[in-house]
Amino acid sequence: MSSGIKLTDVRKRFGQLQVLDGVSLDVKPGEFAAIIGPSGCGKSTLLRMCAGLERPDAGQVLYGGRPILGPDPARMMIFQEHALYPWRTVEQNVGFGLELSGLPAGERRERVAESVRRVGLNGFESYYPHQLSGGMRQRASIARALVMDPDVLLLDEPYGALDAMTRLTMQHELLRLWAGSGKTVLLITHDIEEALYLSDRLFVMGARPGQIIQEMALDLPRPRSRGDARFVSLREEVLNTLQIAA
Amino acid sequence: MMNSARWRERLSYVAAIVTLLLVWQIAAFFLPRFLLPGIPQTGARMLKMLDNRDFLAGVQQSFIRLSIGYPLACMLGAGLGLLAGLSPHFARYLRGLISILQSVPPITWVPFLIILFGFGDAPIIIVITLASFFPMALSTMNGTEGVSRTHLELARVLGASRWQLLQKVYGPETLPAVISGAQVAFGNAWRSLIAAEMVGGASRGLGWSISYAGETADMAGVLVGIIIVGGSAAFIDHFLLERLKHKLLAWRTRPGGAIS
Repeated sequence: MSSGIKLTDVRKRFGQLQVLDGVSLDVKPGEFAAIIGPSGCGKSTLLRMCAGLERPDAGQVLYGGRPILGPDPARMMIFQEHALYPWRTVEQNVGFGLELSGLPAGERRERVAESVRRVGLNGFESYYPHQLSGGMRQRASIARALVMDPDVLLLDEPYGALDAMTRLTMQHELLRLWAGSGKTVLLITHDIEEALYLSDRLFVMGARPGQIIQEMALDLPRPRSRGDARFVSLREEVLNTLQIAA
Repeated sequence: MMNSARWRERLSYVAAIVTLLLVWQIAAFFLPRFLLPGIPQTGARMLKMLDNRDFLAGVQQSFIRLSIGYPLACMLGAGLGLLAGLSPHFARYLRGLISILQSVPPITWVPFLIILFGFGDAPIIIVITLASFFPMALSTMNGTEGVSRTHLELARVLGASRWQLLQKVYGPETLPAVISGAQVAFGNAWRSLIAAEMVGGASRGLGWSISYAGETADMAGVLVGIIIVGGSAAFIDHFLLERLKHKLLAWRTRPGGAIS
């Protein structure tokens, strides 16, 4: 069973700018949580703290009850831009983490093949990133995270750069990969529908200073319909919280 | 289809060589033979010199000096340049050192080195190393500065150690810069090799042969030396270094755009 992530009264300042001002949130083990907020609200910084790439100035960032001191393959981050290494093929990119951990090549190939198959990229193992479409690149980066069998998946606007159709497909695939895996997921997005479609728990953030202004538990059954009356009224509610006239 | 573009490129190269030879031959018509021998005389002279054991031993000696000094500079430059990528303090120090040393043309060190080490290979090899170290270190250093922060963070999230970051992210990502640094460095190494041999760093070698021919007013000998100097450099740069570059950076030229 995986562990949860808990932030208590986290503060962070970059120079003059107070990015996070007393953020507390609790993501339970195995839960799919999403953070939504306007750009510049500090949501990416928050996620980077969960990955161990940033440290809070004050407050605590806990993973399984223990403070996060640095990056750890148990908490895998999927970056905004797919961030594949252009000089590595799909297979070499997906296997990079296993290569770093010193796993023997034979075993590595097996696990990479399995992960590549799960995201539907089989047949493209020997392709370089520049030969792939945006959606395929993001699939490869998800395969690279999954192959490490992490406890926690941290996604930083993973579908921001994709076209609307590909985005819907990818959201559906993500749910399929997550369902029954027991992994904790924390997703950052600025797409309200994406957050409502995917998550069990939604945190709405406000900007300057970055604070959680609303928390919602979403108990809509899956698969969710974007046209469903409750879905639409929840969307309305988030828009109101963000003070964007609908 | 791709071949025709390649042939056109080769053709322009041939045209450039033909132009130079033509200018030479035309000038030779108007000048006395002892001042400017024509292509046939120089060609005959070249065949004779390429059969001369002393001359060939000198050329070989030059290449031995090059093959010690140049790789040494490449390794030092790439190594220190990469290290500078990891530590901003060291980067500032290295930049300072380079800007001070680079303001002195490498050839200036020849008298200093001859007094220290005596005539022979050592001063020339050191001059080659000095001359080709700078472009290599600077280019590598600029390359490490261009390494994507996301690529580094990703590797850290995946569990990379400092050494692995250097080896698996910094290394491959700076490779294009390292290779172009190596090409610039080769030009520097070659120029300073010939120059150092000409100003008296040694009593044998390609550069020495040219300056000796000059002192005895042997114009054909000078021209043969120039042709060998230019030809060797062009061969090494175009055939060896370019080929190495294509091989190391093969992933960039993999055909096929994005698949939708």
